[in-house]
Amino acid sequence: MSTVSGQETVSIGTGAAPLPRARAVGALRAWLRLLGSEVGLTLRRPRNIAMLAVLALVPVLIGVALRTFGGPDETDGGPSVFGQVTGNGLFLTFAALSILVQLLLPVAVAVVAGDSVAGEAGLGTLRYLLAAPAGRTRLLGVKYANAVVFCLAAVAAVALSSLLAGVLLFPAGPITLLSGGTIPLLDGVLRIGVVVLYVTAGMAALAAVALAFSTMTEAAVGAIASTVGLVVVVQVLGVIPQLSVFQPYLLTHWWNGFDGVLRDPMATGEMGQGLLVFAAYIAVFGSIAWARFTGKDITC
Amino acid sequence: MSEQTRRGRAVRWGVPIATVALVAGAIGAGPVIAAVQGDPVLPERTAAQLLADAVRATESGVKPMSGTVMQTASLGLPGLPEVAGMGGTSPAALLAGSHELKVWYGGEDRFRFALPGRMSETDLIVNGDQAWLWESETNKATRIKGAGQAGQDHDRAMPMATTPQQVADEALKRADAGTAVSVSNTEKVAGRPAYQLVLTPRDGSSLVKEVKLALDGETFVPLRVQVYAKSAAEPAFEIGFTSVTFTPPAPDNFTFTPPAGAKVEEKTLADLGSRPEGGQERAEALKGGLTTVGEGWTTVAVLPFSTQDLKGPAQRQGDRPGGQDAAVVTDALLKSARQVSGAWGSGKVIQTKLVSALLTDDGRLLVGAVTPEKLTEAAGRR
Amino acid sequence: MLTVRERTPSATLPAEDCSIVTRGLTKRFRSGQVAVDALDLAVPRGSVFGFLGPNGSGKTTTIRMLLGLVAPTGGAWELLGTPMPGGTAAVLSRVGALVEGPAFYPYLSGEANLRRYDAADPAADPRTASARIGLALDRVGLAAAARKRYRAYSLGMRQRLAIAAALLGPRELLILDEPTNGLDPQGTREVRGLIKEIAAGGTTVFVSSHLLAEVEQMCSHIAVMRTGRLVAQGPIAGLRAGEAVRIRVETPDLAEAAAVLAASGLAQVRTGDGEVSAELGADAPERICAALVAGGVAVRGLAVQRPSLEDVFVGLTGEGFDVNG
Ligand SMILES: Nc1ncnc2c1ncn2[C@@H]1O[C@H](COP(=O)(O)OP(=O)(O)O)[C@@H](O)[C@H]1O
Ligand SMILES: [Mg+2]
Repeated sequence: MSTVSGQETVSIGTGAAPLPRARAVGALRAWLRLLGSEVGLTLRRPRNIAMLAVLALVPVLIGVALRTFGGPDETDGGPSVFGQVTGNGLFLTFAALSILVQLLLPVAVAVVAGDSVAGEAGLGTLRYLLAAPAGRTRLLGVKYANAVVFCLAAVAAVALSSLLAGVLLFPAGPITLLSGGTIPLLDGVLRIGVVVLYVTAGMAALAAVALAFSTMTEAAVGAIASTVGLVVVVQVLGVIPQLSVFQPYLLTHWWNGFDGVLRDPMATGEMGQGLLVFAAYIAVFGSIAWARFTGKDITC
Repeated sequence: MSEQTRRGRAVRWGVPIATVALVAGAIGAGPVIAAVQGDPVLPERTAAQLLADAVRATESGVKPMSGTVMQTASLGLPGLPEVAGMGGTSPAALLAGSHELKVWYGGEDRFRFALPGRMSETDLIVNGDQAWLWESETNKATRIKGAGQAGQDHDRAMPMATTPQQVADEALKRADAGTAVSVSNTEKVAGRPAYQLVLTPRDGSSLVKEVKLALDGETFVPLRVQVYAKSAAEPAFEIGFTSVTFTPPAPDNFTFTPPAGAKVEEKTLADLGSRPEGGQERAEALKGGLTTVGEGWTTVAVLPFSTQDLKGPAQRQGDRPGGQDAAVVTDALLKSARQVSGAWGSGKVIQTKLVSALLTDDGRLLVGAVTPEKLTEAAGRR
Repeated sequence: MLTVRERTPSATLPAEDCSIVTRGLTKRFRSGQVAVDALDLAVPRGSVFGFLGPNGSGKTTTIRMLLGLVAPTGGAWELLGTPMPGGTAAVLSRVGALVEGPAFYPYLSGEANLRRYDAADPAADPRTASARIGLALDRVGLAAAARKRYRAYSLGMRQRLAIAAALLGPRELLILDEPTNGLDPQGTREVRGLIKEIAAGGTTVFVSSHLLAEVEQMCSHIAVMRTGRLVAQGPIAGLRAGEAVRIRVETPDLAEAAAVLAASGLAQVRTGDGEVSAELGADAPERICAALVAGGVAVRGLAVQRPSLEDVFVGLTGEGFDVNG
């Protein structure tokens, strides 16, 4: 077990300084170890497991409801996706994501990302992590990466449970696009993958906002509530016609912008713009979180 | 020492401040880059030359192209509420906000329009004698018979029917003694250098300040039409390409097979043209009573009408999808109406940025792109 | 010798022989409160350094500054010979710390909690983590409760786990903020033994306390804080040896007695109610007694007073200590 290289690693700090490249590899490995610890902590936490379970349950409920009561009549003028679900189970993914992305997914992301720094501060574990020393920039990076992993987990949970429920409850087959064309089932699943990544990016932008709030308080509830409150307020602002000029700058406006994958040819324009908006939010709120966290006195 | 911490804090917060500046810069970069690049300069042309070029280009056929057309209306309709779930296809929806239309044009009888809505799409696909109207909202494909002949009849105007071409034609028809016409050669539309024809009404009582028509510098295809009202710096109505490429679109854009499970209907062009519920007759009746006062930009249309007429069809249409929106719009308009009276009688005036309407109590409707004063003046002339 | 404020620590010891050096370290909180005021500490390598002061005197704030948790508003400091805060990443891996009580994830076991902190240390080798965690738990006597959730730990167990977290790796310096808080007498004794054992291995231990007795029993050096200011620091032995022993004479003849004491060459002669006292210095009490009798002073009582450490600190800090702990 105790090979020569193993012993060398153990004696880091007292032995000769390792080569820069070896040091970079070691630093990356240590970073991944901390990320692994962080992800493990997040995914083992009962509260987070419960949120993922609820998120996975909603598509099943939608599917069962559609199966039991049938899709909406077209005269109802309801969103057509629901009608399409009964014809093709794969549409359950789009229906479920377009509903959950409005509030439930953002709430789950706000809980995890809003808790990330403030929760540790509240527990007091933040001071021990920093004394370990985790490094402030490094810890913040890990915290954000963890939030993004959770975003992906949450969106994937919705997508997978929708796929499963959709295929079990409804016929599945080639997908009719919004443009009227038809693509094979496998293509459809691939396009669902694109949607999962897009929605994850949108949630990752919200996670950056929540992380910034999280660095400003020692009470996780405060950061979470501010984030959720902000989402609701922005959603409301987004539907006020007098404020429609601001719509393109609102984060929530872009979360739903993935219907381009259902067009022929795939309309990437709106999603591209959405990704730019997400990137801008991540850059702005990520840097605010960094400035706050690296300059903060840890007094609890 | 505390000086040092203060400096450290300034440096740290400099990062987000710089990021915000960067993002704001990126948002404003479009205009800045355009300014840095300078205006494109095309060879100078007079209005007459330009129009001749445009006509020639139209005669030799529009080159295959594809692009995105954006229509923006800010007509200043008073108190128009946002109708929930208003799709891009609803007529009321086109009166406010921005709407996108995708265009693939492969030739005179090969084109596709797509009107994307939230999780929905309406497509018109014409390929030779095949024509389809696809509405994803209702999962309905309509085969339009006789499209081939229609294409020949309507000829070249067809591909541009709802694109700048149609609107441009309308604006050009109006150009007469009452209009000042000028041309600029430094415009840029959808990233392409363009000529711009500016039509300015000479009559002071017109609500229209000017109409701008941008023509592609290379192909002379109309790229954009903007209508400016006197009361606003932004165009009250605008339709134009936001992106355009003059390369032949992929052929599979023009093929359409109704998807499995879709309702398929067959209709002739005539079917589509006729309006249900006796709309045709009503239109005829209206046409019969229509007179005009004045000419050019300040033409006022006078037709027999009453509030009852307005409310009636709107309510009846309420049963149909889209009719609901119309009813809402009508109500909103009537609510904003202002009572006026004079030697000519009395009535209600509705004013928007571009259009005024006067509903007299003696059962006439006067409409025109003019000031309300001009309308009451016209109302006095029997 | 006990050095009192005038002597700077850098004059006492070369910086490279110190595990902790601070120069003018100051923290003024946003509220305007100066929690630590121009602190000059020198903690010799290998010492067990008692950082003594009543509650609210700035001990925890000092420790937070040492660990880079709180930014000083003035001054500079070095840990293990490396200027901070620049050397935080390199140095803190070799420093174990307990700051203001234990803090852990209640829903994780003791072992999982230690693994979490170990993962945060970029210099820790994941392959040896289990062994190091097991050893640390063993040293604080928590091996049996390793799998128990932290939520179910008693106050004493929590404190031990926090000490275990400070012992996760090979440490050159341990900074322990009130490590015996919440421990029963048995636990206190164990921790004291543990600290001595660690120090014997060559690790410098910097331990803060508001309990004089605790510091007295395990420390080789001592620093005393009072409302954010350092009032004394030095080896504890010097403190005991250097403090003046006084002779106290009970007599009705106050003036004569004072004159005799002064004539015998004693300093700090003070006259009180029915008694006269002076610093005895190296003089023999029997010689002074003889001189008094020879001078015709009616000696009713005579005592040699060795002041307790407590008296010294009460004098220095102006406040009492909880001696019994
Ligand atoms: N975050 C803070 N903001 C303002 N004052 C503080 C803060 N933390 C501690 N103090 C004050 O600083 C002083 C020193 O506190 P502390 O270092 O905790 O003392 P000790 O650990 O010696 O009991 C106290 O008066 C305390 O009230
Ligand atoms: Mg304390």
